[in-house]
Amino acid sequence: MNEMTSGHIVKAYSAELDHLNKLVLDMGNLGQDQLRRAVQTLKDEDPKAAGKVIDRDRKLNDIDIQADEEIIRLIAKRQPMAKDLRDILTVQKTISDLERVGDEARKIANLTIHFYDNGKNPPSKEILHDIYDMSEFVDEMLGLSLVAFTELDLDKALEVIEMDKKLYEDFRGSLRRLSTFIMEDSRNVGSVVDIVLALRALERIGGHAKNIGGFVIFLVTGKDVRHEDIQAISAEIEASRMSQ
Amino acid sequence: MNDTSAAKTGLETDTEAAVKQNQSAEGTVGEIYVDDPRMTCRNVDVYYGEKQAIFDVSLDVGKNQVISMIGPSGCGKSTFLRCLNRMNDTIDICRVTGQIKMDGQDIYDGGLDVVPLRASVGMVFQKPNPFPKSIYDNIAYGPRIHGLSDDKQHLDSIVETSLQKAGLWAEVKDRLDQPGTGLSGGQQQRLCIARAIAVSPEVILMDEPCSALDPIATAKIEELIDELRENFTIAIVTHSMQQAARVSQRTAYFHLGKLIEVGETDQIFTSPRHKLTEDYITGRFG
Repeated sequence: MNEMTSGHIVKAYSAELDHLNKLVLDMGNLGQDQLRRAVQTLKDEDPKAAGKVIDRDRKLNDIDIQADEEIIRLIAKRQPMAKDLRDILTVQKTISDLERVGDEARKIANLTIHFYDNGKNPPSKEILHDIYDMSEFVDEMLGLSLVAFTELDLDKALEVIEMDKKLYEDFRGSLRRLSTFIMEDSRNVGSVVDIVLALRALERIGGHAKNIGGFVIFLVTGKDVRHEDIQAISAEIEASRMSQ
Repeated sequence: MNDTSAAKTGLETDTEAAVKQNQSAEGTVGEIYVDDPRMTCRNVDVYYGEKQAIFDVSLDVGKNQVISMIGPSGCGKSTFLRCLNRMNDTIDICRVTGQIKMDGQDIYDGGLDVVPLRASVGMVFQKPNPFPKSIYDNIAYGPRIHGLSDDKQHLDSIVETSLQKAGLWAEVKDRLDQPGTGLSGGQQQRLCIARAIAVSPEVILMDEPCSALDPIATAKIEELIDELRENFTIAIVTHSMQQAARVSQRTAYFHLGKLIEVGETDQIFTSPRHKLTEDYITGRFG
Protein backbone atom coordinates (compact mmCIF):
# COMPACT_ATOMS: atom_id res chain seq x y z
CA MET A 1 0.00 0.00 0.00
CA ASN A 2 1.28 3.49 -0.71
CA GLU A 3 0.37 6.83 0.85
CA MET A 4 -2.24 7.34 -1.87
CA THR A 5 -4.26 4.24 -1.06
CA SER A 6 -3.71 3.50 2.63
CA GLY A 7 -5.15 4.80 5.87
CA HIS A 8 -8.92 4.50 5.40
CA ILE A 9 -11.04 3.71 8.43
CA VAL A 10 -12.74 1.12 6.23
CA LYS A 11 -9.75 -1.09 5.45
CA ALA A 12 -11.46 -2.82 2.55
CA TYR A 13 -11.57 0.56 0.78
CA SER A 14 -7.78 0.87 0.98
CA ALA A 15 -7.43 -2.71 -0.23
CA GLU A 16 -9.68 -2.01 -3.22
CA LEU A 17 -7.73 1.10 -4.21
CA ASP A 18 -4.52 -0.81 -3.72
CA HIS A 19 -5.68 -3.55 -6.01
CA LEU A 20 -6.54 -1.01 -8.71
CA ASN A 21 -3.05 0.45 -8.46
CA LYS A 22 -1.61 -3.04 -8.71
CA LEU A 23 -3.58 -3.61 -11.92
CA VAL A 24 -1.91 -0.51 -13.40
CA LEU A 25 1.51 -1.94 -12.63
CA ASP A 26 0.61 -5.38 -13.94
CA MET A 27 -0.63 -3.79 -17.10
CA GLY A 28 2.36 -1.46 -17.38
CA ASN A 29 4.82 -4.33 -17.02
CA LEU A 30 2.89 -6.40 -19.51
CA GLY A 31 2.71 -3.50 -21.97
CA GLN A 32 6.43 -2.86 -21.66
CA ASP A 33 7.13 -6.55 -22.16
CA GLN A 34 4.90 -6.60 -25.25
CA LEU A 35 6.82 -3.67 -26.70
CA ARG A 36 10.18 -5.40 -26.12
CA ARG A 37 8.97 -8.71 -27.47
CA ALA A 38 7.39 -7.14 -30.55
CA VAL A 39 10.61 -5.35 -31.45
CA GLN A 40 12.58 -8.52 -30.74
CA THR A 41 10.46 -10.45 -33.27
CA LEU A 42 11.53 -7.91 -35.89
CA LYS A 43 15.18 -8.36 -34.96
CA ASP A 44 14.82 -12.15 -34.96
CA GLU A 45 12.73 -12.13 -38.14
CA ASP A 46 10.40 -14.47 -36.25
CA PRO A 47 6.77 -14.30 -37.40
CA LYS A 48 5.78 -17.17 -35.09
CA ALA A 49 6.89 -15.24 -31.99
CA ALA A 50 5.10 -12.19 -33.41
CA GLY A 51 1.90 -14.24 -33.50
CA LYS A 52 2.37 -14.95 -29.78
CA VAL A 53 2.80 -11.26 -29.03
CA ILE A 54 -0.45 -10.57 -30.86
CA ASP A 55 -2.28 -13.30 -28.90
CA ARG A 56 -0.90 -11.98 -25.64
CA ASP A 57 -2.48 -8.57 -26.22
CA ARG A 58 -5.75 -10.12 -25.06
CA LYS A 59 -4.36 -10.17 -21.53
CA LEU A 60 -4.06 -6.40 -21.60
CA ASN A 61 -7.61 -6.11 -22.87
CA ASP A 62 -8.80 -8.38 -20.07
CA ILE A 63 -7.10 -6.27 -17.38
CA ASP A 64 -8.55 -3.13 -18.99
CA ILE A 65 -12.06 -4.53 -18.63
CA GLN A 66 -11.40 -5.86 -15.12
CA ALA A 67 -10.12 -2.46 -13.97
CA ASP A 68 -13.15 -0.68 -15.43
CA GLU A 69 -15.49 -3.06 -13.60
CA GLU A 70 -13.66 -2.53 -10.31
CA ILE A 71 -13.70 1.24 -10.79
CA ILE A 72 -17.45 1.32 -11.44
CA ARG A 73 -18.11 -0.82 -8.35
CA LEU A 74 -15.80 1.30 -6.23
CA ILE A 75 -17.39 4.60 -7.27
CA ALA A 76 -20.88 3.22 -6.61
CA LYS A 77 -19.91 1.75 -3.27
CA ARG A 78 -17.47 4.26 -1.78
CA GLN A 79 -18.19 7.65 -3.41
CA PRO A 80 -14.49 8.51 -3.50
CA MET A 81 -13.43 12.06 -2.73
CA ALA A 82 -10.28 14.17 -3.07
CA LYS A 83 -7.12 12.13 -3.59
CA ASP A 84 -9.08 8.88 -3.74
CA LEU A 85 -11.16 10.36 -6.53
CA ARG A 86 -8.05 11.58 -8.33
CA ASP A 87 -6.42 8.20 -7.81
CA ILE A 88 -9.33 6.38 -9.41
CA LEU A 89 -9.51 8.77 -12.37
CA THR A 90 -5.76 8.47 -12.84
CA VAL A 91 -5.94 4.69 -12.73
CA GLN A 92 -8.72 4.66 -15.29
CA LYS A 93 -6.92 6.96 -17.70
CA THR A 94 -3.57 5.24 -17.21
CA ILE A 95 -5.10 1.83 -17.83
CA SER A 96 -6.68 3.12 -21.00
CA ASP A 97 -3.33 4.48 -22.22
CA LEU A 98 -1.57 1.23 -21.35
CA GLU A 99 -4.16 -0.74 -23.27
CA ARG A 100 -3.26 1.37 -26.30
CA VAL A 101 0.44 0.74 -25.69
CA GLY A 102 -0.47 -2.92 -26.20
CA ASP A 103 -2.31 -2.07 -29.43
CA GLU A 104 0.76 -0.25 -30.77
CA ALA A 105 3.06 -3.16 -29.82
CA ARG A 106 0.69 -5.43 -31.70
CA LYS A 107 1.10 -3.26 -34.81
CA ILE A 108 4.87 -3.81 -34.67
CA ALA A 109 4.37 -7.56 -34.27
CA ASN A 110 2.06 -7.46 -37.29
CA LEU A 111 4.87 -5.81 -39.23
CA THR A 112 7.15 -8.77 -38.44
CA ILE A 113 4.53 -11.09 -39.88
CA HIS A 114 4.12 -8.82 -42.90
CA PHE A 115 7.88 -8.73 -43.55
CA TYR A 116 8.95 -12.27 -42.74
CA ASP A 117 6.01 -14.66 -42.96
CA ASN A 118 6.98 -16.93 -45.88
CA GLY A 119 9.86 -14.50 -46.50
CA LYS A 120 7.66 -12.43 -48.76
CA ASN A 121 8.63 -8.79 -48.06
CA PRO A 122 11.94 -8.55 -46.15
CA PRO A 123 13.16 -4.94 -46.02
CA SER A 124 16.80 -3.93 -46.07
CA LYS A 125 18.32 -4.06 -42.57
CA GLU A 126 19.56 -0.53 -42.93
CA ILE A 127 16.09 1.00 -42.83
CA LEU A 128 15.01 -1.02 -39.78
CA HIS A 129 17.65 0.59 -37.64
CA ASP A 130 15.56 3.59 -36.58
CA ILE A 131 12.94 1.27 -35.08
CA TYR A 132 15.47 -0.27 -32.70
CA ASP A 133 16.85 3.07 -31.55
CA MET A 134 13.45 4.56 -31.02
CA SER A 135 12.08 1.50 -29.26
CA GLU A 136 14.82 1.69 -26.64
CA PHE A 137 14.06 5.33 -25.97
CA VAL A 138 10.31 4.68 -25.76
CA ASP A 139 10.92 1.68 -23.49
CA GLU A 140 12.81 3.98 -21.14
CA MET A 141 10.00 6.54 -21.20
CA LEU A 142 7.39 3.92 -20.43
CA GLY A 143 9.46 2.48 -17.58
CA LEU A 144 10.04 5.92 -16.13
CA SER A 145 6.33 6.78 -16.30
CA LEU A 146 5.50 3.61 -14.35
CA VAL A 147 8.10 4.44 -11.71
CA ALA A 148 6.67 7.98 -11.48
CA PHE A 149 3.22 6.44 -10.97
CA THR A 150 4.41 3.97 -8.31
CA GLU A 151 6.53 6.44 -6.39
CA LEU A 152 4.27 9.47 -7.00
CA ASP A 153 7.44 11.16 -8.21
CA LEU A 154 6.81 14.54 -9.82
CA ASP A 155 10.39 14.92 -11.09
CA LYS A 156 10.23 11.65 -12.97
CA ALA A 157 6.80 12.54 -14.33
CA LEU A 158 8.20 15.82 -15.59
CA GLU A 159 11.20 14.03 -17.10
CA VAL A 160 8.92 11.74 -19.14
CA ILE A 161 7.02 14.75 -20.44
CA GLU A 162 10.29 16.38 -21.43
CA MET A 163 11.52 13.21 -23.14
CA ASP A 164 8.47 13.28 -25.40
CA LYS A 165 9.86 16.41 -27.04
CA LYS A 166 13.07 14.62 -27.99
CA LEU A 167 11.06 11.65 -29.18
CA TYR A 168 9.11 13.83 -31.56
CA GLU A 169 12.31 15.39 -32.90
CA ASP A 170 13.82 11.93 -33.41
CA PHE A 171 10.66 10.88 -35.20
CA ARG A 172 10.89 13.85 -37.58
CA GLY A 173 14.61 13.09 -38.11
CA SER A 174 13.82 9.48 -39.00
CA LEU A 175 11.19 10.57 -41.49
CA ARG A 176 13.77 12.75 -43.22
CA ARG A 177 16.32 9.99 -43.26
CA LEU A 178 13.87 7.39 -44.55
CA SER A 179 12.70 9.70 -47.34
CA THR A 180 16.24 9.57 -48.76
CA PHE A 181 15.86 5.79 -49.22
CA ILE A 182 12.81 6.44 -51.38
CA MET A 183 14.65 9.05 -53.38
CA GLU A 184 17.53 6.63 -53.96
CA ASP A 185 15.36 3.77 -55.06
CA SER A 186 11.62 3.99 -55.48
CA ARG A 187 11.31 0.22 -54.89
CA ASN A 188 11.86 1.06 -51.20
CA VAL A 189 8.54 2.93 -50.99
CA GLY A 190 6.55 -0.04 -49.66
CA SER A 191 9.05 -0.93 -46.92
CA VAL A 192 9.62 2.68 -45.90
CA VAL A 193 5.88 3.27 -45.51
CA ASP A 194 5.67 0.17 -43.29
CA ILE A 195 8.63 1.31 -41.21
CA VAL A 196 7.13 4.79 -40.84
CA LEU A 197 3.94 3.20 -39.52
CA ALA A 198 6.02 1.25 -36.99
CA LEU A 199 7.88 4.39 -35.95
CA ARG A 200 4.53 6.12 -35.61
CA ALA A 201 3.39 3.28 -33.33
CA LEU A 202 6.51 3.77 -31.18
CA GLU A 203 5.99 7.51 -31.12
CA ARG A 204 2.43 6.89 -29.90
CA ILE A 205 3.73 4.63 -27.10
CA GLY A 206 5.97 7.52 -26.06
CA GLY A 207 2.89 9.75 -26.17
CA HIS A 208 1.04 7.36 -23.85
CA ALA A 209 4.01 7.40 -21.43
CA LYS A 210 3.89 11.20 -21.55
CA ASN A 211 0.16 11.09 -20.76
CA ILE A 212 0.86 8.88 -17.75
CA GLY A 213 3.42 11.44 -16.56
CA GLY A 214 0.69 14.10 -16.79
CA PHE A 215 -1.76 11.91 -14.86
CA VAL A 216 0.79 11.47 -12.06
CA ILE A 217 1.10 15.25 -11.77
CA PHE A 218 -2.71 15.49 -11.59
CA LEU A 219 -2.81 12.71 -9.01
CA VAL A 220 -0.27 14.39 -6.73
CA THR A 221 -1.07 18.08 -7.21
CA GLY A 222 -4.68 18.10 -8.43
CA LYS A 223 -3.67 20.20 -11.44
CA ASP A 224 -4.55 19.11 -14.94
CA VAL A 225 -1.45 19.83 -17.04
CA ARG A 226 -2.31 17.88 -20.17
CA HIS A 227 -2.39 20.77 -22.57
CA GLU A 228 0.22 22.99 -20.97
CA ASP A 229 3.79 23.56 -22.06
CA ILE A 230 6.70 22.26 -20.04
CA GLN A 231 7.49 25.60 -18.37
CA ALA A 232 3.91 25.96 -17.16
CA ILE A 233 3.96 22.39 -15.85
CA SER A 234 7.24 23.00 -13.97
CA ALA A 235 5.70 26.14 -12.48
CA GLU A 236 2.60 24.18 -11.35
CA ILE A 237 4.80 21.58 -9.68
CA GLU A 238 6.85 24.26 -7.96
CA ALA A 239 3.69 26.02 -6.74
CA SER A 240 2.28 22.80 -5.34
CA ARG A 241 5.54 22.12 -3.50
CA MET A 242 5.48 25.60 -2.00
CA SER A 243 1.95 25.14 -0.68
CA GLN A 244 2.80 21.85 1.04
CA MET B 1 -35.36 34.07 23.90
CA ASN B 2 -33.02 36.02 26.13
CA ASP B 3 -31.93 39.51 25.54
CA THR B 4 -28.20 39.19 25.91
CA SER B 5 -26.23 42.14 27.14
CA ALA B 6 -23.06 43.46 25.59
CA ALA B 7 -21.11 42.33 28.64
CA LYS B 8 -22.42 38.83 28.36
CA THR B 9 -21.50 38.51 24.72
CA GLY B 10 -18.06 39.88 25.54
CA LEU B 11 -18.39 42.56 22.89
CA GLU B 12 -15.17 44.35 21.99
CA THR B 13 -14.72 48.03 21.38
CA ASP B 14 -15.03 49.30 17.84
CA THR B 15 -11.29 49.94 17.61
CA GLU B 16 -10.36 46.47 18.71
CA ALA B 17 -12.85 45.01 16.34
CA ALA B 18 -11.55 47.13 13.46
CA VAL B 19 -8.00 46.01 14.11
CA LYS B 20 -9.08 42.41 14.16
CA GLN B 21 -11.14 42.80 11.03
CA ASN B 22 -8.02 43.61 9.05
CA GLN B 23 -6.17 40.58 10.28
CA SER B 24 -6.30 37.47 8.22
CA ALA B 25 -7.53 34.38 9.97
CA GLU B 26 -4.39 32.66 11.00
CA GLY B 27 -4.39 28.97 10.50
CA THR B 28 -7.28 28.81 8.04
CA VAL B 29 -6.31 27.56 4.62
CA GLY B 30 -8.21 29.06 1.68
CA GLU B 31 -10.13 32.22 0.93
CA ILE B 32 -12.26 33.27 3.90
CA TYR B 33 -13.46 36.39 2.08
CA VAL B 34 -16.02 36.68 -0.71
CA ASP B 35 -16.70 39.61 -3.04
CA ASP B 36 -20.31 40.05 -2.04
CA PRO B 37 -20.78 39.00 1.60
CA ARG B 38 -24.16 38.80 3.33
CA MET B 39 -22.54 38.01 6.67
CA THR B 40 -18.99 38.63 7.82
CA CYS B 41 -17.53 36.85 10.84
CA ARG B 42 -14.21 37.98 12.25
CA ASN B 43 -12.13 36.34 14.97
CA VAL B 44 -15.09 34.60 16.53
CA ASP B 45 -14.41 32.71 19.76
CA VAL B 46 -17.13 30.82 21.59
CA TYR B 47 -16.90 29.58 25.17
CA TYR B 48 -19.20 27.24 27.07
CA GLY B 49 -18.27 28.36 30.58
CA GLU B 50 -14.51 27.84 30.82
CA LYS B 51 -14.32 25.55 27.83
CA GLN B 52 -13.55 27.16 24.51
CA ALA B 53 -15.57 25.62 21.68
CA ILE B 54 -14.64 27.89 18.75
CA PHE B 55 -11.19 29.36 18.20
CA ASP B 56 -10.71 32.54 16.20
CA VAL B 57 -12.95 31.76 13.25
CA SER B 58 -13.18 34.34 10.45
CA LEU B 59 -15.45 33.62 7.53
CA ASP B 60 -17.65 35.42 5.01
CA VAL B 61 -21.03 34.06 3.96
CA GLY B 62 -21.73 35.18 0.39
CA LYS B 63 -25.06 36.50 -0.87
CA ASN B 64 -27.29 34.00 -2.66
CA GLN B 65 -24.80 31.27 -1.98
CA VAL B 66 -25.00 28.01 -0.11
CA ILE B 67 -22.09 27.47 2.25
CA SER B 68 -21.78 24.09 3.90
CA MET B 69 -19.99 23.42 7.14
CA ILE B 70 -18.55 19.98 7.62
CA GLY B 71 -16.36 18.27 10.17
CA PRO B 72 -16.35 15.49 12.74
CA SER B 73 -18.78 15.50 15.68
CA GLY B 74 -17.88 18.10 18.26
CA CYS B 75 -15.83 20.17 15.81
CA GLY B 76 -17.92 23.28 16.48
CA LYS B 77 -19.72 23.57 13.17
CA SER B 78 -23.19 23.66 14.73
CA THR B 79 -22.00 26.01 17.47
CA PHE B 80 -20.64 28.34 14.81
CA LEU B 81 -23.88 28.13 12.81
CA ARG B 82 -25.87 29.04 15.90
CA CYS B 83 -23.73 32.15 16.37
CA LEU B 84 -25.09 33.49 13.09
CA ASN B 85 -28.53 34.21 14.57
CA ARG B 86 -27.48 34.39 18.21
CA MET B 87 -29.16 31.10 18.96
CA ASN B 88 -26.34 30.46 21.43
CA ASP B 89 -27.77 33.29 23.58
CA THR B 90 -30.34 30.77 24.76
CA ILE B 91 -27.55 28.85 26.51
CA ASP B 92 -26.68 30.68 29.74
CA ILE B 93 -23.03 29.66 29.97
CA CYS B 94 -22.31 30.40 26.32
CA ARG B 95 -20.18 33.44 25.55
CA VAL B 96 -19.36 34.73 22.07
CA THR B 97 -16.55 37.18 21.28
CA GLY B 98 -15.34 38.62 18.02
CA GLN B 99 -17.51 40.23 15.44
CA ILE B 100 -20.38 38.99 13.30
CA LYS B 101 -22.04 41.43 10.94
CA MET B 102 -24.98 41.08 8.64
CA ASP B 103 -25.07 43.60 5.80
CA GLY B 104 -22.61 45.71 7.79
CA GLN B 105 -24.68 45.67 11.00
CA ASP B 106 -23.08 44.06 14.06
CA ILE B 107 -25.56 41.41 15.17
CA TYR B 108 -24.00 41.26 18.64
CA ASP B 109 -24.58 44.97 19.14
CA GLY B 110 -25.98 45.39 22.63
CA GLY B 111 -28.93 47.43 21.40
CA LEU B 112 -29.96 44.96 18.75
CA ASP B 113 -33.26 43.14 19.22
CA VAL B 114 -32.75 39.43 18.57
CA VAL B 115 -36.38 38.83 17.57
CA PRO B 116 -36.17 40.59 14.19
CA LEU B 117 -32.63 39.19 13.81
CA ARG B 118 -33.98 35.67 14.05
CA ALA B 119 -36.64 36.54 11.50
CA SER B 120 -34.04 37.72 9.03
CA VAL B 121 -31.72 34.82 9.89
CA GLY B 122 -34.11 31.88 10.03
CA MET B 123 -33.25 28.40 11.18
CA VAL B 124 -34.22 24.85 10.27
CA PHE B 125 -33.26 22.06 12.64
CA GLN B 126 -32.24 18.45 12.38
CA LYS B 127 -35.54 17.07 13.52
CA PRO B 128 -38.60 18.62 11.92
CA ASN B 129 -40.34 20.60 14.68
CA PRO B 130 -43.68 21.86 13.41
CA PHE B 131 -45.88 23.62 15.97
CA PRO B 132 -48.78 21.49 17.20
CA LYS B 133 -51.09 23.59 15.07
CA SER B 134 -52.63 23.43 11.62
CA ILE B 135 -50.44 23.57 8.54
CA TYR B 136 -51.83 27.04 7.87
CA ASP B 137 -51.07 28.32 11.35
CA ASN B 138 -47.56 26.91 11.28
CA ILE B 139 -46.79 29.26 8.40
CA ALA B 140 -48.98 32.17 9.51
CA TYR B 141 -47.54 32.26 13.05
CA GLY B 142 -44.33 34.12 12.14
CA PRO B 143 -45.89 36.78 9.91
CA ARG B 144 -48.54 37.40 12.64
CA ILE B 145 -46.09 37.90 15.52
CA HIS B 146 -43.73 39.99 13.39
CA GLY B 147 -46.68 42.11 12.21
CA LEU B 148 -45.95 41.38 8.58
CA SER B 149 -49.58 41.01 7.65
CA ASP B 150 -52.72 42.99 8.57
CA ASP B 151 -55.46 41.16 6.78
CA LYS B 152 -56.53 37.60 6.15
CA GLN B 153 -56.16 37.90 2.39
CA HIS B 154 -52.52 38.99 2.64
CA LEU B 155 -51.80 36.27 5.19
CA ASP B 156 -53.37 33.69 2.87
CA SER B 157 -51.09 34.81 0.10
CA ILE B 158 -47.99 34.62 2.36
CA VAL B 159 -48.97 31.09 3.40
CA GLU B 160 -49.49 30.03 -0.21
CA THR B 161 -46.28 31.63 -1.50
CA SER B 162 -44.19 30.19 1.33
CA LEU B 163 -45.58 26.70 0.83
CA GLN B 164 -45.00 27.01 -2.90
CA LYS B 165 -41.41 28.13 -2.42
CA ALA B 166 -40.89 25.19 -0.09
CA GLY B 167 -42.33 22.85 -2.72
CA LEU B 168 -45.14 21.72 -0.44
CA TRP B 169 -48.17 23.62 -1.74
CA ALA B 170 -49.42 20.96 -4.18
CA GLU B 171 -49.29 18.30 -1.46
CA VAL B 172 -51.09 20.22 1.29
CA LYS B 173 -53.29 22.87 -0.34
CA ASP B 174 -56.46 20.86 0.30
CA ARG B 175 -55.73 20.20 3.96
CA LEU B 176 -54.31 23.43 5.32
CA ASP B 177 -56.51 23.12 8.40
CA GLN B 178 -55.06 19.77 9.38
CA PRO B 179 -52.25 19.49 11.95
CA GLY B 180 -48.69 19.98 10.67
CA THR B 181 -47.58 17.08 12.85
CA GLY B 182 -49.68 14.73 10.70
CA LEU B 183 -47.40 15.21 7.70
CA SER B 184 -44.58 12.81 6.78
CA GLY B 185 -41.06 13.60 8.05
CA GLY B 186 -39.94 15.08 4.74
CA GLN B 187 -43.12 17.13 4.44
CA GLN B 188 -42.71 18.35 8.03
CA GLN B 189 -39.17 19.50 7.24
CA ARG B 190 -40.39 21.36 4.16
CA LEU B 191 -43.14 22.84 6.35
CA CYS B 192 -40.42 24.12 8.71
CA ILE B 193 -38.56 25.60 5.74
CA ALA B 194 -41.80 27.25 4.56
CA ARG B 195 -42.27 28.60 8.10
CA ALA B 196 -38.78 30.12 8.00
CA ILE B 197 -39.42 31.60 4.56
CA ALA B 198 -42.77 33.14 5.61
CA VAL B 199 -41.06 35.93 7.56
CA SER B 200 -38.95 36.96 4.53
CA PRO B 201 -35.53 36.10 5.91
CA GLU B 202 -32.30 36.99 4.17
CA VAL B 203 -30.34 34.05 5.52
CA ILE B 204 -31.53 30.54 6.32
CA LEU B 205 -29.44 28.39 8.65
CA MET B 206 -29.91 24.64 8.37
CA ASP B 207 -28.54 22.31 11.01
CA GLU B 208 -28.41 18.83 9.48
CA PRO B 209 -31.82 19.30 7.89
CA CYS B 210 -31.89 15.90 6.20
CA SER B 211 -30.37 13.60 8.78
CA ALA B 212 -33.80 12.38 9.94
CA LEU B 213 -35.13 11.94 6.38
CA ASP B 214 -35.16 9.12 3.84
CA PRO B 215 -33.24 9.52 0.54
CA ILE B 216 -36.29 10.67 -1.45
CA ALA B 217 -37.27 13.33 1.10
CA THR B 218 -33.56 14.30 1.27
CA ALA B 219 -33.43 14.73 -2.51
CA LYS B 220 -36.49 16.99 -2.36
CA ILE B 221 -34.89 19.17 0.32
CA GLU B 222 -31.65 19.36 -1.65
CA GLU B 223 -33.55 20.38 -4.78
CA LEU B 224 -35.36 22.96 -2.67
CA ILE B 225 -32.08 24.34 -1.27
CA ASP B 226 -30.85 24.85 -4.80
CA GLU B 227 -34.02 26.76 -5.72
CA LEU B 228 -33.98 28.84 -2.52
CA ARG B 229 -30.47 30.03 -3.28
CA GLU B 230 -31.93 32.38 -5.86
CA ASN B 231 -33.59 34.45 -3.11
CA PHE B 232 -31.80 33.53 0.09
CA THR B 233 -28.36 32.99 1.53
CA ILE B 234 -28.05 29.55 3.06
CA ALA B 235 -25.60 28.11 5.58
CA ILE B 236 -25.96 24.40 6.13
CA VAL B 237 -24.31 22.05 8.59
CA THR B 238 -24.25 18.50 7.33
CA HIS B 239 -22.69 15.17 8.19
CA SER B 240 -23.11 13.98 4.64
CA MET B 241 -20.14 15.03 2.57
CA GLN B 242 -21.96 14.03 -0.58
CA GLN B 243 -24.73 16.40 0.44
CA ALA B 244 -22.26 19.23 1.02
CA ALA B 245 -20.71 18.51 -2.38
CA ARG B 246 -24.13 18.51 -4.05
CA VAL B 247 -25.81 21.55 -2.54
CA SER B 248 -23.15 24.11 -1.70
CA GLN B 249 -20.93 26.50 -3.60
CA ARG B 250 -18.48 26.94 -0.73
CA THR B 251 -17.45 24.48 1.94
CA ALA B 252 -15.87 25.13 5.31
CA TYR B 253 -14.12 22.35 7.19
CA PHE B 254 -14.03 22.58 11.00
CA HIS B 255 -11.83 20.53 13.30
CA LEU B 256 -11.62 20.82 17.10
CA GLY B 257 -13.25 24.26 17.05
CA LYS B 258 -11.00 25.69 14.38
CA LEU B 259 -11.83 26.56 10.81
CA ILE B 260 -9.19 24.50 9.05
CA GLU B 261 -10.00 25.15 5.43
CA VAL B 262 -12.59 26.97 3.36
CA GLY B 263 -12.92 27.13 -0.39
CA GLU B 264 -15.00 26.48 -3.45
CA THR B 265 -16.86 23.21 -2.91
CA ASP B 266 -15.46 21.76 -6.15
CA GLN B 267 -11.94 22.40 -4.96
CA ILE B 268 -12.50 21.09 -1.43
CA PHE B 269 -13.84 17.76 -2.64
CA THR B 270 -11.34 17.20 -5.45
CA SER B 271 -8.13 18.83 -4.21
CA PRO B 272 -8.33 19.92 -0.57
CA ARG B 273 -5.22 21.76 0.49
CA HIS B 274 -5.08 20.84 4.17
CA LYS B 275 -4.23 17.31 5.22
CA LEU B 276 -6.93 17.27 7.92
CA THR B 277 -9.57 18.17 5.34
CA GLU B 278 -8.32 15.47 3.03
CA ASP B 279 -8.20 12.84 5.76
CA TYR B 280 -11.74 13.68 6.83
CA ILE B 281 -13.39 13.71 3.43
CA THR B 282 -11.62 10.57 2.27
CA GLY B 283 -12.63 8.70 5.44
CA ARG B 284 -9.18 8.40 6.92
CA PHE B 285 -9.88 9.26 10.54
CA GLY B 286 -12.79 9.27 12.93
